[in-house]
Amino acid sequence: MPATPGYHGRYLRIDLSTGLSTEIAIDAECLRDYLGGSGLGVALLLREGAAEFDPLSPQAVLAFVFSPLVGSPVTTSAKFAVVSKSPLTQRLNDSLASSGFALAGKKTGYDALVLVGRTSELSILVIDNDQVSLQSAADLQGLSNGDTQRLLQARLGNEFQTATIGPAGERLVRYATISHDGRHAGRGGSGAVLGSKNIKGLAVRGTRRVQWSQPQALTSLAKQLSERSFGPATAKYRELGTASNLLTFNRLNVLPTRNFQQGSFAQAAAISPEELNATRKRSRSSCVACTIGCEHLYSTKGAGGSVRLEYENLFALGPLCGIGDSDVILEASRRCDELGLDTISAGGTIGFAMECAERGLIDAPWLRFGDGPALLRALDLIVSGEGLGELLALGSRGMALEIGQDSIHFAPQVKGLELPGYDPRGLQMMALGFAVSARGADHNRSGAYEVDFSESVDRRDVGPESAYLAVETEDKAAIMDSLILCKFLRGIFADIFVESAEILRLVTGWDVTAKELRATAQRIVTAKKRFNVLAGWTPAEDTLPQRMLRVAIPEDARSQLSTERLAALIKAYNLARGWGEEGWPPDTKPHFL
Amino acid sequence: MQVTVELFGIPRARAGVSQTVAHGSTLGDVLLDLARRFPALGETCIQDRSLKPGYTANLRGEKFVTDPTLRLREGDAILLLSVDAGG
Repeated sequence: MPATPGYHGRYLRIDLSTGLSTEIAIDAECLRDYLGGSGLGVALLLREGAAEFDPLSPQAVLAFVFSPLVGSPVTTSAKFAVVSKSPLTQRLNDSLASSGFALAGKKTGYDALVLVGRTSELSILVIDNDQVSLQSAADLQGLSNGDTQRLLQARLGNEFQTATIGPAGERLVRYATISHDGRHAGRGGSGAVLGSKNIKGLAVRGTRRVQWSQPQALTSLAKQLSERSFGPATAKYRELGTASNLLTFNRLNVLPTRNFQQGSFAQAAAISPEELNATRKRSRSSCVACTIGCEHLYSTKGAGGSVRLEYENLFALGPLCGIGDSDVILEASRRCDELGLDTISAGGTIGFAMECAERGLIDAPWLRFGDGPALLRALDLIVSGEGLGELLALGSRGMALEIGQDSIHFAPQVKGLELPGYDPRGLQMMALGFAVSARGADHNRSGAYEVDFSESVDRRDVGPESAYLAVETEDKAAIMDSLILCKFLRGIFADIFVESAEILRLVTGWDVTAKELRATAQRIVTAKKRFNVLAGWTPAEDTLPQRMLRVAIPEDARSQLSTERLAALIKAYNLARGWGEEGWPPDTKPHFL
Repeated sequence: MQVTVELFGIPRARAGVSQTVAHGSTLGDVLLDLARRFPALGETCIQDRSLKPGYTANLRGEKFVTDPTLRLREGDAILLLSVDAGG
């Protein structure tokens, strides 16, 4: 039977212990139910029984998942998802990245590449259409992402696209990334999972294209979307980049500063993109098949070249650690990219350690808020594993559990994942999103901050009657992350479900509707929750750090949450999801299990 | 009536200033005044007396507002910014 247009209808399962690879069919019903990307990833992980395995054990499952839109003319669709159990959270982790790896990966002829097992030596996994081989990576050991990718392309040729880990992934740092061409599957430690399998990187090449159900109409619609992507809804990303959030958040006192001890940073203006634009060379870049071009790179001192700056690495390696020197922030960002560290978790963990040092809970008098060289030294220690590095490599929750003395109360994490740059006390819809998200404190799987930045709620006094809005933003994200489309497009859609259904109809030929996609989103979010239940989730972990529930943001007494109010929000969210008050999903298995 | 307007992101880039004073008794009046004095800001962010899609306003750092008939008080602070906060 021919595959559904947009899909190959199969995934490649590679057992790295034996070197054997197996093609496994994915039926059309499963594809329609879970689409691709994050959705299909969690479905495959459930099929593989991945929830029960230690994420750093040979049995652990790591899936690179493509989507029906990859290779199509739809803007921003060259994306892939990396899905596994997280070594940082011990819960589901799905992180997305972009560009040529997605295109080449899908052209190998598979909708997903699923890795299990462990090689006996550090290796490169080469997938050339259906030819799978392992090559020694002994000469690449300890190399940065950039150097590894350059050497691999020189060795294999430019037709191969590579996804690699840096030294952080090799050393199993719990928040190590997987990188491709300057983009990162960043959150949750998928780089450590790949490192635990002794795989330094994947190199993929292929010639197998999928068909589109209505190619002419798809091209016409894609052209319209591209034109709309040049409009005002994306101007912020094109012209300034996400870093322009910094001064807005600072003004609203929701810019996490010095490990969430403050909501504003006195040196914010000095490190803002507005200041950097005035004082440094800036260039722009974009992913393959993207018409937005959101990446803004700033020149650095010395031989460092230029560094991509986003709001999240700016906040995490800047105000969160009390750093007001843009040279330090850019250098720290460069090191994270090259070493293969998630900038949010790295900054969050170091900021937490700075407060621990300040309180005398750890013996690291050199590690002080605002000390740039100390920040850079800490990043190097994380990867070398020397001194404090061994603790830092565990993430803030792991550190707190080792340190004790109630330090967990101010460890900036939910389910072990460090909070991004939104203080939940002043953005309380986002607080709910952080608490309930399957992968922990996260702004990409729950876009609830959009509601906080609207007239729909009082962001500092959100009540349970508004919890359904968090469900809606999470559902939108589930669809975008499964199709996969860039979140920066969301502003151009009047109704993401209606327009996504139209795109999917043209790609696949399915008679899919907006109503069906809403049900699909709920199914995907529930599947993620089900994975977490199988991995040991309990209602107690849907919460925020005690600091967020006991202390108001110092600059704004109205920015205060309480345990009781958060519990009421979570209960309302769970009921809106149909999961019962405590959040247990109905005990039904997906049809393919 | 005089109010302070603080500009962030694209509105700041278009106006070329981070802060200004504007006149009007309603949000719509203030937006009209800004569009007249800063044509590039008006062209990108303001349509008649309202904000274009993709932009929003915040009153005194307290609450987000877009209704052009919203009554203002002498000395109020209005923040103009992009809607999307993500990144």
